[in-house]
Amino acid sequence: MKKFDTKQTGVLSSSDLKSWKGLTIYWIFFTILCISALCSLIPAIWTICTSFKDTQEIYAAFSFFPSEMSWDRFVGRITESWGYLQLGRSFVNTIVLSLGSLVVRIVVCGFGGYVLSKLKPRGSKLLFTLVVWTMMMPGQIRMVPNYITYLHFPFAFDWGMGVSLLDTYWPMWLGAGGDCFAVLLFKNAFDALSNSYVEAAKLDGCSNYGVFFRIMLPLAMPVIIYQSIGVLSAAWSDFFTPLLVLDKNSVVPLEVYRMQGDSSIQMNTYFMGLVFASIPPFIIFLFFQKRILGGINIGGVKG
Amino acid sequence: MKTQQIDVATAQKRIKRKSSFRNDLDAWILMLPMVIILYIFVWRSTVLGGVWSLFKMQAYTVKEFCGLDNYVKVISHTQFLPTLWNTVQYVLWSLVIGYLPPLFIAIMINEIVHFKGGFRVLIYIPAVIPGIAAMLMWYFMYYPDQTGLLNMVLNKLGFESFGWLNNPDFTIVGIIIYNTWKAFAGTMLLYYATLQGVSVELYEAALIDGAGPFKRLWHVTRPAIEGLLLLNVVSQIISVFQIMEQPLAMTGGGPNGASTSLGYQLYQYGFNSGGKGTGQAMALGVITFLILICFTIFYFWLNKKVENRY
Repeated sequence: MKKFDTKQTGVLSSSDLKSWKGLTIYWIFFTILCISALCSLIPAIWTICTSFKDTQEIYAAFSFFPSEMSWDRFVGRITESWGYLQLGRSFVNTIVLSLGSLVVRIVVCGFGGYVLSKLKPRGSKLLFTLVVWTMMMPGQIRMVPNYITYLHFPFAFDWGMGVSLLDTYWPMWLGAGGDCFAVLLFKNAFDALSNSYVEAAKLDGCSNYGVFFRIMLPLAMPVIIYQSIGVLSAAWSDFFTPLLVLDKNSVVPLEVYRMQGDSSIQMNTYFMGLVFASIPPFIIFLFFQKRILGGINIGGVKG
Repeated sequence: MKTQQIDVATAQKRIKRKSSFRNDLDAWILMLPMVIILYIFVWRSTVLGGVWSLFKMQAYTVKEFCGLDNYVKVISHTQFLPTLWNTVQYVLWSLVIGYLPPLFIAIMINEIVHFKGGFRVLIYIPAVIPGIAAMLMWYFMYYPDQTGLLNMVLNKLGFESFGWLNNPDFTIVGIIIYNTWKAFAGTMLLYYATLQGVSVELYEAALIDGAGPFKRLWHVTRPAIEGLLLLNVVSQIISVFQIMEQPLAMTGGGPNGASTSLGYQLYQYGFNSGGKGTGQAMALGVITFLILICFTIFYFWLNKKVENRY
């Protein structure tokens, strides 16, 4: 086969693929990959299929695909479930939540990473060590103290001056900013940019802020996009902090979590809810597929 | 010519000294939001968690000092040791089930020439599904009657329905299988990126020296990926030891506490005990912290070793 002849030499080379031994290994690899791709997909496909079934059909014996499928049914199931679940408000809320998190992440972690990488004021070395160490520190010890801080922000005690952050998005927004790993990724990205950009701009009379906003930030676009993908997807999947702080303003992951405790929801509607909740992250994935699958090595694991 | 150079140098030095204070100030102002947030939500919280674990808590207000009372309450609880053992089991199973497959798949995808991009996209799909939706999907796949996908298949093949997550012996394994399915692709991409960085010339040189596929795997691929592989053991231990959301959403800690982890217990103490267990929650947080900080220190020690070697 042509593809075999041009294969880059790796564990298998094109000369290996001429012998039956190499070919066996190759096709075993191929089969295993097919199986794992199938395993990755089956739960998702099953969920979609079940969401279009009738309730009786779900409880009946073995059936993977819905027994009848038509355009009317497709539209009917979607509108019916959407009407029942009333997710519109939470979708809007989640969009607000995710965009806010994005801004906070870029402003807070981006600025921080830039300063640690390029400006290096006195004391920044110590700060950087601290950031790296906190990155790997177990976080559960902070859960209750953080919750208490949400009650009287920014104080940890009730001194009568704090603001309650309950039922606002601020805990999630600020949480998106307090991510040491993101700071490290930004720092690594800025490290990769040459110092001469900063010097040249300064000689031309650019201020410290000007250098950052006009020159460094645009150059760091890849890492910004990479971070944005992470933040946006996290906002659509994290239900734990919202569970602690949100009450009236619900977001989609929290709504999904609450569905589990609601026995009045029909099974097929429930599954449709899971499908609805997965659509926005899939749209993000489709838009940025190349970046997500190729860009993970930005920064890597080096501390 | 020479005097001019000296002039430029001294002038630059003078400007530098004059502006260095201003530069430092600008830099710290730019960094201020990060420092404040990290201080309030990370550093201060960690310290306060440790301090408050020694205090009596009335819901979310701190009362008087009570020494190690909270710790005694946590450790003397009859469920403490079983919960600790469950948590260790989570970690062990995650290493058994979830540790090596991402590496193997990464190596295979690196070698395949047919449908390579397609495999990468398909295998990444579980990572795209939001965590909570994926947990509930699996909750229903594991459903103990015939509505669950796995029991549907079992029944079709003529077996009895199995309890899955309702079975105390299986529930932890079940959650770990879900977790592996979900977290698999992220780790795989990490390995894949490292494999892409291995130079083709090394493989070609090995080929010329007459090394077969397995020898090349062992002598060329292994050294390149060893470091990352070692670091991943430690980071996986640290992250799985804190497992909390999965039992919360999938099993509620049951059946009979068989899937309760330390993290889930901490959640129960902190937010589901009517305010009586807040102090215990922090004591438990400190216990988890002390166990894991050893691994964190080990991680950094290892990281240094790995970096020095490559």
